[in-house]
Amino acid sequence: MLSFETLTGTLDHAAVGLLDGARRAVVQLVVRERGVGTGTVWRQDGQDALIVTNAHVLAAGDHGGRHERGRLRMLDGEGVAHEVAVLRRDDALDLALLRVTVAGRVTGLRFSAQTPRVGEWVFAIGNPWGQTGVVTRGVISTTGTVAARDGRRVSIIRSDVHLAPGNSGGPLLNAAGDVVGINAMIVGGDLSVAIAASTVADWLNPQMKI
Amino acid sequence: MTNDNNLTTLSAQMADAVDTIARSLVTVNGRERQAATGIAYAADLVLTADHVVERDDNLTIVTPDGRTLPAQLAGRDGSSDIAVLRVAGLNTPPAAAAASARVGALALAVGRPSQEGVVASSGIVSAVGGPVRMGRNAQLDRFIRTDAIPYPGFSGGALIDASGAAYGLLTTGLVRGTAIVIPMDIALRVAGTLTQHGYVKRGYLGVVTQQAAVPPAQRAALRQEHGLLVVRVEENGPAEKGGLIVGDMLLALDGHPVTDADDLLGMLSGDRVGKAVSVRVLRGGQPADIAVTVGARD
Repeated sequence: MLSFETLTGTLDHAAVGLLDGARRAVVQLVVRERGVGTGTVWRQDGQDALIVTNAHVLAAGDHGGRHERGRLRMLDGEGVAHEVAVLRRDDALDLALLRVTVAGRVTGLRFSAQTPRVGEWVFAIGNPWGQTGVVTRGVISTTGTVAARDGRRVSIIRSDVHLAPGNSGGPLLNAAGDVVGINAMIVGGDLSVAIAASTVADWLNPQMKI
Repeated sequence: MTNDNNLTTLSAQMADAVDTIARSLVTVNGRERQAATGIAYAADLVLTADHVVERDDNLTIVTPDGRTLPAQLAGRDGSSDIAVLRVAGLNTPPAAAAASARVGALALAVGRPSQEGVVASSGIVSAVGGPVRMGRNAQLDRFIRTDAIPYPGFSGGALIDASGAAYGLLTTGLVRGTAIVIPMDIALRVAGTLTQHGYVKRGYLGVVTQQAAVPPAQRAALRQEHGLLVVRVEENGPAEKGGLIVGDMLLALDGHPVTDADDLLGMLSGDRVGKAVSVRVLRGGQPADIAVTVGARD
């Protein structure tokens, strides 16, 4: 039986280790130096990384400039900017897939195939208000499905993690460090909504012809 | 990169705790808008918040296994925001009560606001406070505060510990928009009175009083600066029958100092109704103890 202090110390160590590992898979998306959202690295593909984010983060780029369309770039964990190619975009599901040549500067995250349980611990990592690598903690509040604009069923996850503008597109991680959702929006000021990893994976995989 | 660590164990235990309390949480349909939550605590009884039961009949609950059952209002107490519903065929395991809450302990707020299942939010026990005045003539001896978010429909739900046992009944009706948790032992005590009588008895004495300063000559000996000066005594009321007269200054009730009207109202709780209490008064400059049998307020 561990003592209370040892147990909390072990938990702290586990959480810090988990988040340190995950940070290499979370990037900031910027338009002309202004942070517009977060990207979650799905996997590496040769010299490139495939990154998932919300479609509405790209929309911020579409209207970023008065005289020219703002150009979306990605900043890796060391603040280096990279050109971004939009491979695919689905406004109804609010998902987009990006390709970025980063030559091993980032790593991918594992997407959980299981529906998380209500009460499970979750961590959100993102760039709220442009501040990078911010971690918030909460629990799964409820899971369910909603209809997208075009009628498709979307699995969603509600949680009490604190999100703010700029978190969009970032991962919601479980206690094992697996992605259980992509943070997408805030409802009623205090309920955070993520698109479930299962829905994201279903959307990603046909694209990759696996 | 799945890590099986203490964090995953803790996380799984929190989810287990939600599963445990979920078996005892029902949806309460008692108002037009948002449905609320109730806690099954006995074979056919459900504890909920008074303010979510806006009508006296046509009440239903939905059990964790999806059965919609009619519910009768067994009793309600607006000042503590507790109501009890009697549900024939409830057949839902009663919630376990947690040990007393400690500030800093992990906690989950859990409700069943719809048939889509339970909803949870997380936090800690933020404070254990009390006694606090609730309305004009009720007192909550103890209450718990939490930083867990009370989502719509959480009133009547539970704040639970890491084992899934209930610290108490959660309500946002006592302090508007803030989650206040009525400890389980207090909620069950009120519920016991409600199932017996349908309401919580409030005592009364039949006096009109006014706060006044204790005369300087007596202040040192009495160790209190204020008392309640009796300015009117109701005819045939409990106070008159006991022998209280206009001009008496109430100083204490059953040995507890009375320095303002709230002190007195807080002590005239259901427990004292019908019982003789010892009222210490200052009469003609001399302390005197008078026995008064507390009456029941209608």
